[in-house]
Amino acid sequence: MRSIIGRNLPTYFAALLIILSLNFILPRMMPGDPLMAIYGEEALVAMTPELKAFLLRSFALDKPIWEQFFAYLYQMGRGNLGFSYYHSAPTLEVILGRVPWTILLIGSALILSTTFGILLGIESGWRRGKPLDRSLLSGFMALTGFPDFFLGMVFLLVFGVSLGFFPLSGSLTPYSGLSGLPLLFDMVRHLILPVSALTLGHMAGTYLLTRSAMVTVLREPYILSARAKGLPERVICYRHAGRNSLLPVVTRTGIWLGRIITGTLFIEVIFAYPGLGTLTYEALLARDYAVLQGVLLVVAIVVLLANFSLDLLYARIDPRIQHAH
Amino acid sequence: MHISIRGEFRKDTFGQAGLILLMATTALALLGPIAVPYNPNHQTHWAFKSPSTFHILGTNHVGQDNWSRLVHGARTSLLVGFSVACIATLISTLVGSSCALKGGLYERIMMRFVDGLLIIPAIVVLILVSAYTKPRLYLLIVLISLFSWAGGARIVRAQALSLKDRAHIWAARSFGGSNWYVMRRHIVPDLGPILVVEFIHSFRRAIFMEAGLAFLGICDPARVSWGIMMRNAIEYSYMNVWVWWLVPAGLALSITILSLAFIGHTLEPFMEPRLREHVDA
Repeated sequence: MRSIIGRNLPTYFAALLIILSLNFILPRMMPGDPLMAIYGEEALVAMTPELKAFLLRSFALDKPIWEQFFAYLYQMGRGNLGFSYYHSAPTLEVILGRVPWTILLIGSALILSTTFGILLGIESGWRRGKPLDRSLLSGFMALTGFPDFFLGMVFLLVFGVSLGFFPLSGSLTPYSGLSGLPLLFDMVRHLILPVSALTLGHMAGTYLLTRSAMVTVLREPYILSARAKGLPERVICYRHAGRNSLLPVVTRTGIWLGRIITGTLFIEVIFAYPGLGTLTYEALLARDYAVLQGVLLVVAIVVLLANFSLDLLYARIDPRIQHAH
Repeated sequence: MHISIRGEFRKDTFGQAGLILLMATTALALLGPIAVPYNPNHQTHWAFKSPSTFHILGTNHVGQDNWSRLVHGARTSLLVGFSVACIATLISTLVGSSCALKGGLYERIMMRFVDGLLIIPAIVVLILVSAYTKPRLYLLIVLISLFSWAGGARIVRAQALSLKDRAHIWAARSFGGSNWYVMRRHIVPDLGPILVVEFIHSFRRAIFMEAGLAFLGICDPARVSWGIMMRNAIEYSYMNVWVWWLVPAGLALSITILSLAFIGHTLEPFMEPRLREHVDA
């Protein structure tokens, strides 16, 4: 168990270093006064002299580049991600305010797409070559081509605009004064379209991987001995074959997380869902560089933490890893 | 590797469909601009027109012909996809095989760097970099390439590691062949099929990224892109114009990505010959 974590930690460290250096170097490569390069012209006009002096001091912008780098790392470590001129608040505060919505969106989509992807993959692999398997396989193969943002737009236009079943944007009905159960219902109603688009966009990968793992696992000798013991089909399918087909899915989920975050970003923009994606989009339009940098850092940290927890999970569900040493 | 590309395609209907669709899109991109009736950037006062014999797919909010824009969009998508695939495959080959051949500290540092790049969501990084640099088409191609070679480098390295201990490479080494010579004459030619698969995958990812970034407004203002068409169209979602404005652009994008996904899936056995028996559905 220690081995897989020990092996991956340097990778996470490298990823964090790449992001931090990118955030540090990028604005400093731009021509002009460092404060202006980091925050942009619009921001500088909107800032008070006190704020400018504070930022100059805390990020050591008038010092040599090495001192700037250490000052930068120190401030990041303290959670000072700079100041968002557009929201006129500290960047970290702005970002953390949006994070729960994004987590709600990604979490629901991840749970749904993984559950259904795995279940359908197991059933499909079990019935390989039968009509159900064939139609599922063709359907999911076709689905891999549709970018999730196009699915999102079609959902929005068909179910939201044309049929009017679901609200078009946001996460809650504004000024509705709801509370308790109706509030929850309202939240779910706003969540359905974006989550369906994301789930559909990401289920295909899980499905295809589980199916192919299932097909491989079903040839293992222990499946034959399970049959020889006379175990019921369902038990062989789920407990013997299914459980072992989960492993590749868990390893891949970490890599897919980055893709789902990308997908969420687009979906949020389409549905004006108030999460990190919409924040990024607003920051892009307003040239609020501090927020863009902050979002990148926060997203990277979330992805790394998620990968780390997946390593822990992997060690728990693969018996071979626990006894490996 | 005794797998023939033709053989794989002959067995696989998905692969055939992919090839046909990709060829159709490419033909459209190459020949289309000669055949389309209008300049895609020419604005007229005929805005929001429904499809007619003059405008097959109607016109957009500033009176540009949607069909002409669709065809010119194919050019941008395929140009970006193709160029990124070339650059990314080149970097993957260089990094992957040099890691396998050199080994040691160089390999360990590079592979950590590669894994780090793989974990970070590329689009978020590209948004930040583009916000600073405001890229034109060629810079955009370079930027997308810089964030899409890492996966390929891993695969190339794994393959090159198994190649480098074969007898003919030891023979080349015993005659004094340098790392560079061995890589050029023996490793890279043997990597062929794997590089083709990587090329197709980077092609697909690049098209997706270009459209996604254009949808967010990061694009060369001088180029027509499917992403921009969708971005413009979604702003008029309350009108019923999206049927012949947004949907064709989205479908064209999906079909192109789909065709590459099918081709990639058909060629997958080159990466993992063990898969061969499994893919037949």
